[in-house]
Amino acid sequence: MAIVDPNTGLNRAEAPIIVADQAPDDELLREFGMEEHPQGGFHGLLEVIPTKADYVLDLIRANSLWPLLSGLSCCAIEMMSTATSVNDIDRFGMFPFRASPRQADVLIVAGTLTTKMAGPLVRLWEQMPEPKWCVAMGTCTTSGGRFKRSYSVVQGVDRVMPVDVYVPGCPPRPEGLIYGMMKLHELVKQRRGQWSTYVDRGPQRTRWEGDVR
Amino acid sequence: MEHLRRPRPAAHPLGRGRSLTTPVAVGPLVRLLTERLGARARDLWTDEDAVEIQVDGQDNVEVLRTVRDDPDLEFFFLTDAGAVDYGIDAHFEVVYHLFSWKHPAWLRVRARVQRDDPRIPTVTDLWEGAMFHEREMYDMMGIVFEGNRDLRRIYMSPDYRSFPQRRDFVLPDDAADSAAAGVNPLERPETWDLGRLRHAAGATFAPAEFRADAPAEGPHDGAQDGETAADKSRPR
Amino acid sequence: MTATERASGVPDPIDLDRAEEARLRTAAGLNAPSQQRHGEYAGFEDIGLPDRPPQTEREAEVYSLDEGEMLLNMGPQHPSTHGVMRLVVKLRGEVIVDIDPVLGYLHRGIEKLCENATYTTVLTYVDPMDYLSAMHNEYAPAIAFEKLYGIETPRRAEYIRALVVELERVSSHGLMMGFLALDMGGLTPILYAFINRDEVVDLLSAISGQRMLYNFFRVGGVNFDVNDEFLSRLGTWRSQVLKNIEMNEHLITDNEIFRGRTIGMGVLSGRDAIALGVTGPNLRASGVAFDVRKAHPYSIYRDLEFDVITQESGDVYARYLQRIAEIKQSIHLIDQIIDRMPHGPVQAQVPGIVRPRPGRAYAAVESPRGLYSVYAISDGGPTPYRFRMRDPSFISLQALPKLMPGHLVADTMAVMASFDPVMGGVDK
Repeated sequence: MAIVDPNTGLNRAEAPIIVADQAPDDELLREFGMEEHPQGGFHGLLEVIPTKADYVLDLIRANSLWPLLSGLSCCAIEMMSTATSVNDIDRFGMFPFRASPRQADVLIVAGTLTTKMAGPLVRLWEQMPEPKWCVAMGTCTTSGGRFKRSYSVVQGVDRVMPVDVYVPGCPPRPEGLIYGMMKLHELVKQRRGQWSTYVDRGPQRTRWEGDVR
Repeated sequence: MEHLRRPRPAAHPLGRGRSLTTPVAVGPLVRLLTERLGARARDLWTDEDAVEIQVDGQDNVEVLRTVRDDPDLEFFFLTDAGAVDYGIDAHFEVVYHLFSWKHPAWLRVRARVQRDDPRIPTVTDLWEGAMFHEREMYDMMGIVFEGNRDLRRIYMSPDYRSFPQRRDFVLPDDAADSAAAGVNPLERPETWDLGRLRHAAGATFAPAEFRADAPAEGPHDGAQDGETAADKSRPR
Repeated sequence: MTATERASGVPDPIDLDRAEEARLRTAAGLNAPSQQRHGEYAGFEDIGLPDRPPQTEREAEVYSLDEGEMLLNMGPQHPSTHGVMRLVVKLRGEVIVDIDPVLGYLHRGIEKLCENATYTTVLTYVDPMDYLSAMHNEYAPAIAFEKLYGIETPRRAEYIRALVVELERVSSHGLMMGFLALDMGGLTPILYAFINRDEVVDLLSAISGQRMLYNFFRVGGVNFDVNDEFLSRLGTWRSQVLKNIEMNEHLITDNEIFRGRTIGMGVLSGRDAIALGVTGPNLRASGVAFDVRKAHPYSIYRDLEFDVITQESGDVYARYLQRIAEIKQSIHLIDQIIDRMPHGPVQAQVPGIVRPRPGRAYAAVESPRGLYSVYAISDGGPTPYRFRMRDPSFISLQALPKLMPGHLVADTMAVMASFDPVMGGVDK
């Protein structure tokens, strides 16, 4: 069997195949049909089981997305309203708003991102372990919104981090945010998010409180 | 010292109702101010519910201390301290608003500050709560408060170099990037009325091509009552 | 963008940033070997200590550490739900010695934006300042612009304004109760508070069309008249609200843990509160009976009967009880307004672009956080020449460095939540 990277779910065809205590060699790869697969995946019978495992893994991820408690401004109140009794996102598994980025899956940027806050927010994003997704909630994070001509507002959070779902509104209704989260569930299950192309730079980021336009 | 009362325009025909705040009796307050402050308070002006005096920047602490400690005035509460920029060839103003139980009107003290090297004494010795007001005025306008123990930027990053609320700091026009660019007259430089900025040669804001296109007439000059900007800019 | 793969040959902004930062640090003399960290901590900058010499006396006071002291950064993202505020706390063990609030993480430049907006547009720009009670943000500018323009609003408009503003006050104070308990670890009261808030917000969306940033006030009145849905929801809400508030109250007011954590904590005397500029329920909980609705009445508050309640102790518990009392006063006010509302138009006839005469106007209203005031200068054009807002939460935060020293780290959240700051208003 090839080693499935538990963090990304990608199959590593080039990972060494350990079968008992034999060294890996090409005959083994050829036998399992993995030598020349274009994407390094499985062939034939082996495709069935890992695909289902991946599907179950994606379902697990989608139904238990834990957001980071990172409300910036007015959209944060609507996010809290979505999280509380009347519009409950606990039924989608998203009740625990984690305070620590190390334990969070999805960063819902709720509220206006200013140039001073851009540095800390990017640092939060980089501290989140993969797989992670980003939802831009509200028009301020989508494009700058009503603060389009402001000197201190970042014109859209996609200038500083990759965004998966944009939820427009000022602020979006809780039902709108729930619709956005359903779209995010689709992305998670289809593995279409941005994090698969993300390059993490580790703890080397210097402090950065300047203009990000 | 003049005592001027602003002429009140006639009430609008459909706007029947009470006045927003009852016009208050400011006579006693005006008399007291002229007595206690003397020559330091200039241009006393009354409004419906406010009395305003203008002072020189360097007198602001003495005037405010008098106004606060005098037993007949007793304006004990500083409710607002803000700054106004009257243009790059004019001056700054630091405007204090005060409240007293004894007088039903707000007291507005306008302290004039020169534009180049703007310095004014701090009032944090009188009210500790003026600290954030002064930090904000420094951050946004660049007015230096002498004697303030904590005069650093409060809203912008510490390494920010401009003073955003000055008149010669012009907002960038990111709207030009959007799909709806050019629809709003505010986004089209040819409709801007740059005369309002009163810029002199050497001011660093708009690129030269905007100034060359500035028309003599603004977007709203010559408009009739009820005519909106859309009426003027509607394509014919 | 730094977050995606970059084509080769294009310089990465992060590398440019790093080079620039290294240049600046060398120029400032901060790259000395003694200042660098090594091993796995290489690249981790110090949290809290700025990497430049202190600029002011107060900054030097806060950031210079004696023996046994340390700096703790309660950063812009923290579980307390007041928004993005950074508190640099100087601790000796668990006890707070000094505190430095760093603001500006939500500064959006609203005052500057309003200088380029017509007077009606200004009323939409000011909504997201104090976003928990957006009607108050519009109320003060509306009064100031009406003073500048010199018109009087219809009586029905005044009553509707007072009605929505008191509804906002009930919702906002209920949320404060929830946030205070949430910051101390109680997760249930916030759910009750949000039930009440959702009912009020649906009510206000029936009259204004929006759940939170209402854009309801106009120069000369309000935008829409009450409609059937609003009235039916108002009746339902009114019959349930006292029970809802009492449900929340019974859960925490006599709770042993809540009382132990709030009584005697963060005591603010009346004299200090006035010197610091604290207003609103925080000031009245310290014993000073200053309410803008009574001290400098505006609109119809002169005709309505309500009391200005104060508490004596000035601690966190007093500020909490003060808000409960004010909720009950607001409900009483709402009842009177509903009884007395007259017929008539809800907006005075004003042109689309209002051009007041040159002049100055100052208007102050009582927002759930204190005295919210607007100073507007008009130069005769379609946009205000200067639009200055004084937000109460901004000024109330100055009390934190006076109240927190001597308490434990865990009390910072209780004291801060009792002041109920909203960062949108703090940072404008």
